[in-house]
Amino acid sequence: MWDIITYSLPQILSAGVKFTIPLALIAFAIGLALALVTALVRISHRGGVFVIVKGIFRFYVWLFRSTPLIVQLFIVYFGLPYLTIPGILENGVKFSPFIAGIITFSLNTGAYASETIRASISSVPNGQWEAASSIGMTRGQTLRRIVLPQAFRISVPPLANSFISLVKDTSLAASITIVEMFEVSQQIAAENYQPLIMYTLVALVYAIFCSILTVGQNYLEKRTNRHLNQTEGE
Amino acid sequence: MQLQGLNKTFGSNRVLQDITVELPEKATTVIVGPSGSGKSTLLRSLNLLERPESGLYQVADLNIDFSKKISSKQVLDVRKKTGMVFQDYNLFPHKTVLQNVIEGPVQVLKQDKNAATKEAYELLDKVGLKEKADFYPDQLSGGQAQRVAIARSLAMHPEYILLDEPTSALDPELEAEVLKVLADLANEKQSLIIVTHNLFFARQIASKIVFVEDGQIIFDGSSQEFFDQRQGNPRIHDFISSMSFTGIKEGTPQE
Ligand SMILES: Nc1ncnc2c1ncn2[C@@H]1O[C@H](COP(=O)(O)OP(=O)(O)OP(=O)(O)O)[C@@H](O)[C@H]1O
Ligand SMILES: [Mg+2]
Repeated sequence: MWDIITYSLPQILSAGVKFTIPLALIAFAIGLALALVTALVRISHRGGVFVIVKGIFRFYVWLFRSTPLIVQLFIVYFGLPYLTIPGILENGVKFSPFIAGIITFSLNTGAYASETIRASISSVPNGQWEAASSIGMTRGQTLRRIVLPQAFRISVPPLANSFISLVKDTSLAASITIVEMFEVSQQIAAENYQPLIMYTLVALVYAIFCSILTVGQNYLEKRTNRHLNQTEGE
Repeated sequence: MQLQGLNKTFGSNRVLQDITVELPEKATTVIVGPSGSGKSTLLRSLNLLERPESGLYQVADLNIDFSKKISSKQVLDVRKKTGMVFQDYNLFPHKTVLQNVIEGPVQVLKQDKNAATKEAYELLDKVGLKEKADFYPDQLSGGQAQRVAIARSLAMHPEYILLDEPTSALDPELEAEVLKVLADLANEKQSLIIVTHNLFFARQIASKIVFVEDGQIIFDGSSQEFFDQRQGNPRIHDFISSMSFTGIKEGTPQE
């Protein structure tokens, strides 16, 4: 068994470094940015044409939260190449597996995280808005300097959860031919007929990655909570 | 400061009805009245946190007509002239005491940060909290938090400071330290408009009392007159009795 591990672990880890980690990190970064924009658009009070923009973002969130992630991956990677619009788009939309993965995971994370951020913003007490506007701060200033920093603290635990889910969900990328960790372990299991060892091994690697994230989450929570009374929230 | 014919409804609830009143500068006006009578709504209208549907509002050289559209420039101007202090302080919890105080001067008045900091220390000294400058709001008692909130509004150099039940959330000892700060400000001729249920304090500090009931001004005059009318005017009499105010406690520690 030791031989199996020393043979396959380096390959799994190398797939992790090449695909799993970049996929998760890049998709999470893009997803967060997208989530922030989506949340801000959706809480905006602006009217007029902006109502249409808000509708588009609401549709996006609904779409990605109400369909399975693996189906989204299949549509982007296998489906979009068949998307043709006569005269405009003749040859479909083709992405490399990795780019298709980044796009899908980013959009999916963005949809969920936008709801987290939106909820965090609305959980900041109304009195904070009132205090800021009573001293003449604009809505933008209030958001940037008063509300978002407090919303950020509230959203750290749920966003960390999303990140951990994303790391595990990257295993679905195997289905669109990305050679990430789970795909590598499947390939080796097919060679050595040791599925129990192989899948347990890859499970452990995911668990270690996620544990590292949890440590990071705890650190971030401590940092963002440092202004709170020590006796509270412990 | 002057209001003329102010009307505000929430749905079908006429919360302010034809309010006309003068709120003199360099004086302390206390607004009293039963719960739900519209005191907070009236006070918040002065800072434009509420928007009455109609009425005229004049503060210093600014004139607002609530039946017309109010520009964001007007809103800002009114807010610079009126500082607001809330019942539950509403300090910014992620900022230190000092940062709370300089936030408005630096971000809104575009003051130089060093100058704003220097002044913030003076204001904190004035409310007796200089040594708490680097504390976070969560590490303060309610009385300290409210004094920081007062310093925060003073830092904007408003003409008027509006206080909505500033001590209602406080225990009596903590209430006394906040009332002391307010009495000092009143002595310095800072214009104050205070909504309070504390009639002892009202009697001590008020140069003018406005009594509101069901969204209407029932009485508007000197503190002396108000407490004298207790016998003559049944509504004032009932209100004062309902507050179990007998006048015995005159000259309490806040003085
Ligand atoms: N945002 C709101 N929406 C609907 N109704 C409101 C709102 N704010 C206040 N009201 C109603 O307006 C009336 C006056 O409220 P207001 O808060 O001004 O009274 P108050 O005199 O300050 O009372 P209290 O002494 O209890 O603070 C009440 O009937 C209240 O229910
Ligand atoms: Mg009130």
